[in-house]
Amino acid sequence: MDAMEAQELQDRLALIEQMMKAGRRSTESWGWTFLLWGLAYYVAIGWSALGGTYAWPVTMVATCVLMGVILSRRDHKPNTTMNRAVIGIWIALGVTMMTLMPALAISGRIADARGSIAVVCAVMGMANGASGILLKWRLQQASAVTWWVASMTVCFGSETQALVVFMVAIFICQIVFGIACMMAEKREARGMKDGAHA
Amino acid sequence: MPELPELNPVVHGKLRLAVLSLLATADEAEFTWLRAQTGSTDGNLGAQLMKLEEAGYVSVEKKFVQRKPQTLYRMTDAGRQALTEYVQALKQLLGSAIQS
Repeated sequence: MDAMEAQELQDRLALIEQMMKAGRRSTESWGWTFLLWGLAYYVAIGWSALGGTYAWPVTMVATCVLMGVILSRRDHKPNTTMNRAVIGIWIALGVTMMTLMPALAISGRIADARGSIAVVCAVMGMANGASGILLKWRLQQASAVTWWVASMTVCFGSETQALVVFMVAIFICQIVFGIACMMAEKREARGMKDGAHA
Repeated sequence: MPELPELNPVVHGKLRLAVLSLLATADEAEFTWLRAQTGSTDGNLGAQLMKLEEAGYVSVEKKFVQRKPQTLYRMTDAGRQALTEYVQALKQLLGSAIQS
């Protein structure tokens, strides 16, 4: 076997690895959702600061509907075990938020905003952490750590300071992370196209 | 010295190999997703998928979702076996290239 043939075989092996990696990774096409939810949180925070009583439920439900519409128009994605695991985490997070937060608000248990912000940050950290570990994705693991640090920090300051910490965490973990994901998606898509051309 | 294995020519094609590798990780995949991941054209991808189907390595299901046609591909057991054997043969060949 000459060096050229050996190189061709190496390329085939690399192609298999690259394609399998592409098939397994699923969160990379979800960057826009982080950005969307980050913006939604800002809208809800801003609206409630202006006195909107129903700012959070309306914004959250509207964002859910908008996400559903966008997802229904996208191409069918392959169903993998990894996909199901990661999607399961985020659906569980959504159900937790959509049930716990209204229940706390209606029952009047949110006397201290710091408590609810800490819960939201901790739950976000859990979801990002689980997803990041599953996908072996350091960027998402770092995002989880940021949420966890935020959840602890808000317990020790004033309500205003807690809100600032929350907004900073949203900016880093939703907006910046979302944009980074989208850029990574584009890079990876370009790389795969270059690698798989027959 | 042990005899070197032959590479399965159906699996060896670059685009066919890419498709099989993608399908190995998914329960099922749509034509458009495969096209996007491989960056191939409709015609080329369709032709290579046809060859894989003829070899019994992939199965196809056509259906309508929200009145839009959808073509789903799945890897068969024979396809999984062929890819596994191909990778083993590839590694054996590369191993012999390093030793020689």
